[in-house]
Amino acid sequence: MANINTDNNKERTFDAIVIGSGMSGGWAAKEFTEKGLKTLVIERGRDVKHNIDYPTTNMYPWEFKHRGQIPEDIKKENPIASRCYIFREDATHFVVKDKEHPYVQVKPFDWIRGYQTGGKSLLWARQTQRMSDFDLEGPARDGFAVDWPIRYKDIAPWYSHVEKFVGIAGNYDGLPQLPDGEFLPGMGLNCVEEHFKGAVTENYNNSRHVISGRCAHITENRDVFIQQGRSACQYRNLCQRGCPFGGYFNSNSSTLPWAMKTGNLTMINNSIVHSIIYDDKKEKATGVLVIDAKTKETIEYSAPIIFVNAGSFNTNLILLNSKSSRFPNGLGNDNGLLGKYVAFHNYRAKITAEYDGFPDKYTTGREPTTSYIPRFRNVFKQETDFLRGYAAGFTAKRKFILDTDGIGQELKDGLLNPKFGNWEVGSHMMGETIPKEESRVSLDKNKVDEWGIPQLKIDLDYDDNDERMVKDFFEQFTEMYEKSGFTNIKTHDSKQAPGLDIHEMGGVRMGKDPKTSLLNKWNQLHTCKNVYVTDGACMTSTGTQNPSLTYMALTARACDHATKASKKG
Amino acid sequence: MNRRKALKNLGILTGGMILLPSCDFSEEKVTLILNKLQITAKQEDLVKEIVTTIIPEGEIPGANALEVHNFVWVMVDDCLPKEKQDSFMNGLKLFDKKAKVISGNSFIKLSENKRITVLKDLLKVNLEKDDQGKKSNMEDIQSFLKTTKYYTGWGFLQSKYVMTEIMPYPLVPGTYGTCETIETNKRINING
Repeated sequence: MANINTDNNKERTFDAIVIGSGMSGGWAAKEFTEKGLKTLVIERGRDVKHNIDYPTTNMYPWEFKHRGQIPEDIKKENPIASRCYIFREDATHFVVKDKEHPYVQVKPFDWIRGYQTGGKSLLWARQTQRMSDFDLEGPARDGFAVDWPIRYKDIAPWYSHVEKFVGIAGNYDGLPQLPDGEFLPGMGLNCVEEHFKGAVTENYNNSRHVISGRCAHITENRDVFIQQGRSACQYRNLCQRGCPFGGYFNSNSSTLPWAMKTGNLTMINNSIVHSIIYDDKKEKATGVLVIDAKTKETIEYSAPIIFVNAGSFNTNLILLNSKSSRFPNGLGNDNGLLGKYVAFHNYRAKITAEYDGFPDKYTTGREPTTSYIPRFRNVFKQETDFLRGYAAGFTAKRKFILDTDGIGQELKDGLLNPKFGNWEVGSHMMGETIPKEESRVSLDKNKVDEWGIPQLKIDLDYDDNDERMVKDFFEQFTEMYEKSGFTNIKTHDSKQAPGLDIHEMGGVRMGKDPKTSLLNKWNQLHTCKNVYVTDGACMTSTGTQNPSLTYMALTARACDHATKASKKG
Repeated sequence: MNRRKALKNLGILTGGMILLPSCDFSEEKVTLILNKLQITAKQEDLVKEIVTTIIPEGEIPGANALEVHNFVWVMVDDCLPKEKQDSFMNGLKLFDKKAKVISGNSFIKLSENKRITVLKDLLKVNLEKDDQGKKSNMEDIQSFLKTTKYYTGWGFLQSKYVMTEIMPYPLVPGTYGTCETIETNKRINING
């Protein structure tokens, strides 16, 4: 460890340290700096500045050498990243390459990461559904994991706080299982999506719903967005490149520049957190040990408040690697549960079909969201042979038919005179999975990364509950499709490994009892209260909702708590 | 900037390598720089002629004017798995001989109509019925032609010309039309 002289010590002391600059780290930076705390954000990857570092954002399809395809050599070198839909020619630079950051898979797990300023917030699918008490009461009602220490009323104001700043397009649907929020105008359903909505509402006696997916896109310019330098979504649907309009939310265009404007933010890049430093005498964490990614020098930073927002599994890794005589098994890990009870969302199942209605209609522009079907299974009571349930995305798009039979002028005419085919519809399942003790991440005993940090060992798989849920999704959606007059219905189980959902959660779960959980209701480690975890690692159960909105809300709530607690002394 | 400095900068831009133009203007020169495939000038010409035949010139520029053959090579070189690449290259080697057998002349020397007939016939051959020993060769020829046709169509549709003049791709659509009525007398824009 490098010796640090006293002059530098001052420069390396802050009011708060935030590890990670992604979705939740960006929010911690914004909240703390607004409250006047001198805040250090530590990002392990390179800097990506809004607009300046979006090299592909204004490129036309023909400007990509391979028209979006990934060359075979790159695919071979990156089998994991290549399985992710985002890993295309326009966004490879935002996705971690397999070789650069290896990990150990006890069972297949496709770990998709974005190591740069903004993290995966640059790449997310931008769906922002609130969790409800039907999710937060799930573990207690159905007897798995542990009870969440919070309920909807605890987090509702923080959802609102976040939504107003992020900009969420959505409709007021009035559904108890998917609470309404602070919405900008919804993006709307197209004719076939409206038709499906009508058919589902009618045939299921208003117990199943098709709504416009609430998403982090600006659909109406307001002062709060103008102040951020962001404007309305232009329906490019090229979000993964970074948006020159700031039409969708990411840390780079929103929270981080906002925090920077306060003058209270210090941001360091290419800085890998090795561990959190615990002081046995003071009985609290005093700072973090950082390795410079390039020079590999180590350096310490200090602060009385430490937020871990490294991205679910990397947050687990940092805590597991933060060993001291007080915490020999990882920070806060008295009960040995750190890294355990991880879970994800089951995205294996898809169902497609065709619809011959609305033959004279089509859509224009490129919608960046989908319709959404909130969970309808086991919501109000247990009613199937599996626990919990699934939400689903739903899209309808007019198919083009190009006649490619001929050679010569015949082919040229065929390609240049497309015809409309039927509408194509598709739905994908987003299933809640059950966190279990055997589902875990841990430190590999032998393998280390380039910086000498133990590699993460991931041991996670589907179970019977997931299989039954996939089966039910196919059955229910086949029926819903049939009742809507859809034909040529095809089910597809990709059998993809967990991970591609990019919704890995847990390992540092919240709970009421320090014996069975790691974090309390304020996201503080039970046994090291000045360390907070507010990214996906804190999740006690997964719900069916795309989780980023919840991480952001929990982060803002925890920042408020930490600031008040530190003022009290 | 003096010449020495300019050359030095050029060196940086090209990754430390300075590419000076060669004085060899013979026909045998391959104009493409590929990563993996080794090709001859004759092969390059032949593929260009096939691509030109697949989408001919006219009022709307064809594959030749839009340089789609370059895209075909780039995709075969970079994006095809080794096995398919080998099949493509073998098919390419065998193609002209086969064209001679069925049409009496080298593909390049055929009239446009005859070229179209040759390509259609070869794509139509039922592999099951061919002689046992020649089956894999015919498979490679077909694989070569199918791949060439596929990338030609793709490269043509996603050429700057087609995507700006014929079926414009809006980089910034601005709106989402959820339920627009089709105008039957207008060309359908797959990029709209």
